[in-house]
Amino acid sequence: MSDASTGGDVEPDHDHEHHHEGPGYATPQAAIEEGEREKLAYVMSLYVGTDVDAPDFVAVVDLDPDSDTYCEIVDRIEMPERGDELHHFGWNACSSSCHVEGLERRHLIVPGQRSSRLHVIDAKDRRNPELETVIEPEEVFEYDLSAPHTVHCIPDGEILISMLGDADGELPGGFLELNDDFEIEGRWEPPGEIEMNYDYWYQPRQNVMVSSEWAAPKTYYPGFDLDDVEAGNYGRKLHFWDWENGTVEQTIDLGEEGQIPLEVRFLHTPESTHGFVGTALSSNIFHFWRDDTGEYRAEKAIDFESRDHEDWDMPVPGLTTDILISMDDRYLFGSNWLHGEVWMYDVSDPSNPRRADSLSVGGTFGDVQEVQGRELNAGPQMIQLSLDGERLYWTTSLFSSWDEQFYPEEGERGSVMLKADVDPRNGTLELDEDFLVDWGECPEGPARAHEIRWPDGDCTSDVWQ
Amino acid sequence: MSGGSNGRSRAYDATLEWPDGRTRTLAVRDDETVLEAAERAGIALPYGCLTGACGTCTGRLLAADEGGTDGDEEPEALEVDDAFSYRRRPLALKDRHRADGYVLLCIASPRVDCRIAVGSSVQSELVENPWK
Ligand code: FES
Repeated sequence: MSDASTGGDVEPDHDHEHHHEGPGYATPQAAIEEGEREKLAYVMSLYVGTDVDAPDFVAVVDLDPDSDTYCEIVDRIEMPERGDELHHFGWNACSSSCHVEGLERRHLIVPGQRSSRLHVIDAKDRRNPELETVIEPEEVFEYDLSAPHTVHCIPDGEILISMLGDADGELPGGFLELNDDFEIEGRWEPPGEIEMNYDYWYQPRQNVMVSSEWAAPKTYYPGFDLDDVEAGNYGRKLHFWDWENGTVEQTIDLGEEGQIPLEVRFLHTPESTHGFVGTALSSNIFHFWRDDTGEYRAEKAIDFESRDHEDWDMPVPGLTTDILISMDDRYLFGSNWLHGEVWMYDVSDPSNPRRADSLSVGGTFGDVQEVQGRELNAGPQMIQLSLDGERLYWTTSLFSSWDEQFYPEEGERGSVMLKADVDPRNGTLELDEDFLVDWGECPEGPARAHEIRWPDGDCTSDVWQ
Repeated sequence: MSGGSNGRSRAYDATLEWPDGRTRTLAVRDDETVLEAAERAGIALPYGCLTGACGTCTGRLLAADEGGTDGDEEPEALEVDDAFSYRRRPLALKDRHRADGYVLLCIASPRVDCRIAVGSSVQSELVENPWK
């Protein structure tokens, strides 16, 4: 179902048993059944850190194969200032509020990772969204927080943003809460619960939230320095929170094999206490779950080996920078950005992931290095899956300063968005070579592209109460 | 040194040099940063946090003119700290960066006439691919 106008496209209003008045879908299976094929994507697009004199923007990409502008950027919502580093973003409401009458999935909360500026975009007209509200960095710094990252809604219409640093860009980070008028409500958690922060996900029926760790902004902003790893300046812990109280109940140190845990996801079924986190530097996937005693546990479940390359002095780590779980909780998808690989694992038994398929594309080792004659310049990075689990899309930029270190050509040529067709029945992936969106063609100059969202919910937005 | 010194505010000449050879000389008042003076002159330099944490605005001191010498010598190790006054702590730079003349233009005000390498390629010199 659609939560707002799609600019003329009226989506079929399926009858379904669990009547709900609010945004989203009654269950993950309802999202699969009722969600239409994604016809638009919103994609974070960046000029920060380049010599292009233009602000970052949100790209609206046409994904409708029947459209004349298929694979084109059909609208750009420019930010008011330069220098934001648009990175991750989220909706004001998702399926976790599907019981809340009158609430709509309508506003995108778009933080500037470097600027600490928060933008609110009104996407009532899905094809022509408009910037509505801006919260300036100075207002954010007043709460001694900076570097906004993950945005999720809280089930009653409020919004929670993970913040990676204090006002100076040092530790500790924390969480900033916005109210449903998009004003800062305050800090969500009592001070001192965590030092490092990054991504988070919550499972309200289990009264749990899990958060991961990158580093202090002053550490990761300028680029990746191995000295910082040796000095212990990068994270390797998971924090399990009491969701109602906003307090950390348990912290798990993932150890040497769990360095830089980034994207963290619970399964979609609201009953589950299982989830996965990708540890980017160690290039492993950890499975976590609540055991019989009520404690959370984490165990390495997938190990991506470093590979030798004749041009590199040291073995090249995969750099597992993004993961997601299909809406039916059957597959874990992910990207190894440095190797140049997207993969899918069968996680129908979450403790024993089974490799289903992978594609070798872009990056250091990818078999496919160009699509439609366009050089890819970087590996697969942020991924997004259709609600029905049949189409996987990805972009190629990680973070402006880190891109410059590992794939300097990407800044000069811009990012691309690619797509693979997924056969969930047979567990296979196939690159769709007819699909290419090229940020090298943007009017102001080549841009980077990062996180992707669909207009009506996706596998990395929606949570169920 | 340029601009009138009326006893309260003075200005220093900062010559910005891009990798393609382009240069621009700016009078930077001692109460403003290089980035602010550039914005005032309509010159777009890269920036991000504006708080000294991210390094996006990094420039590199090429020469500092202290006391009227010709200013063409390569700066000594400590010179960058003498050539600029920081409004906040330059957290994005490590000691080795400061020793090499790197400076955060969003929070730095010159205290001497100087030449500075600018443009986005300067920040990418701060770190390299650690495995290659
Ligand atoms: S803009 Fe971030 S350190 Fe200057």
